[in-house]
Amino acid sequence: MRSRQGPRRQGRGGVGWLVVVLLCAGTALACAPVRPEQRAILADRIMQFGASGRARAALEHALENREGSSGGGAVEGGGCGCN
Amino acid sequence: MQLSGPRPGLAALAFGAAVSLGSGSSDAQVAELDMSTQVFHEPSASSRMTVYTPEVALSATPYEGFRVSASYQADVVTGASEAVKAGPLLSNVPDIVSRASVQDFRHVASGGVALEREHARLSASYTYGTENDYRSNAISVAAGTDFWQRNTDVELGYSHGFDEVCTLAQRNLPATLRQGLDSSEQCFTPEPRVEALDISLDNFRLAWTQTWTPVLTTQLVFSGGLQHGFLGNPYRQVVIGPSGQAAQENHPDDRRRAAVALGLKYYARGLKTALGAYARAYRDSWEVQSLTTELSLERYLSGWLSLYAHGRAYVQSGASFWSDDYTGGEPSYGPRGQYWSGDRELSPLSTLLAGARLDATWRAAGGGRYGGVLHELRAHLGFDVLKTVLTDFTWAGRRPDDTLVLLPSLGASGTF
Repeated sequence: MRSRQGPRRQGRGGVGWLVVVLLCAGTALACAPVRPEQRAILADRIMQFGASGRARAALEHALENREGSSGGGAVEGGGCGCN
Repeated sequence: MQLSGPRPGLAALAFGAAVSLGSGSSDAQVAELDMSTQVFHEPSASSRMTVYTPEVALSATPYEGFRVSASYQADVVTGASEAVKAGPLLSNVPDIVSRASVQDFRHVASGGVALEREHARLSASYTYGTENDYRSNAISVAAGTDFWQRNTDVELGYSHGFDEVCTLAQRNLPATLRQGLDSSEQCFTPEPRVEALDISLDNFRLAWTQTWTPVLTTQLVFSGGLQHGFLGNPYRQVVIGPSGQAAQENHPDDRRRAAVALGLKYYARGLKTALGAYARAYRDSWEVQSLTTELSLERYLSGWLSLYAHGRAYVQSGASFWSDDYTGGEPSYGPRGQYWSGDRELSPLSTLLAGARLDATWRAAGGGRYGGVLHELRAHLGFDVLKTVLTDFTWAGRRPDDTLVLLPSLGASGTF
């Protein structure tokens, strides 16, 4: 059992570094920002995560009663910079 | 909808405060009232489980950047669920799988505050839930900030729950001799027949939302959870002996859960439609692993009416200790360690969900108010269908028929 866990831990570490590299690359790319006057579409409700939060929460409540997993749901607000 | 118990009074107080603050004289004041209901219905001959979930929420912004909110939600549950779970090796024993009728009323009251500044926000809330056999308390806090011209947003959240579940007072007995709770009567009373067991819940969340182009945005969410305490169903019994001996479901006392999810929204100008994609990977210390994918679209049918449609697919493995029959030998059936479960949500399964929702929004022209009261009125009407495909789970060898759920929903909200 132990001999199997060694390579698995290394594999997880590799995935962790890949995530970090992707985060850094993504953030670097984001340095060419979308300007405020370009946000008309992003500011619309249909382009925002969690905009229908209450309806979605009710649906997630039902799903959690029929599935063994939870978490990772959309977070309301953020990112649109609509104001 | 009447609040019961002493602690919902706190939420009622917050509710009252929200109303009074919302009716102050500040120009910044905005109040929003939201009412909705969802129905969960299994059109099955054996269970006919139906849950009505009405909810009312009120939020007010008495001062610029300061918001208070309160909500009340109920679950009205009627139906039947399996009280004793057996596997296929006992399929020749009549009525080995028994069902019990379920009738419960769950109340959940919540109150919170939020502070918002130009590039930062803080929020905190408290939630209290009560039902005949379960009580829950949860404190949640979250902090978020945006930077790089608002193109990047990061939010960190944490919540702690301290719950209690009612069960028979039998912790001094070996797990194989413990019996399921037969009724919620006498729960949370000094009666020695029953006792309340603690459950603690800790949840963490880190979300990164990134705008890439004027029509593309993504959100990456890491979440984790720690659960400790009595994590089974106090009513459910599982047949663990070939002669039909049943014992209360016995789950590990700890569960560590982790999920990573990536969401994407893209506006297709040619179609005038917002397209969404979502994927989530999940794993926990009970060795339940799952993958979720979802596609969605949303577009305006007119200036005030939009249509949202989505499809979702989910697949999971079973928990390491889950077996459809704890009375048989390896490898197909038989015990897997020191625990036993009759919970179908811990068995290998997949689900398919499809649904649609219409959202209508009416705004008063020129910043005015409808009837001198409402700035904006919104309503939604939705319908979802959820189908579960149970890979291994049976009722003593028979496939359950309660695997289809209908989820109609309706709601309206107004901004004052």
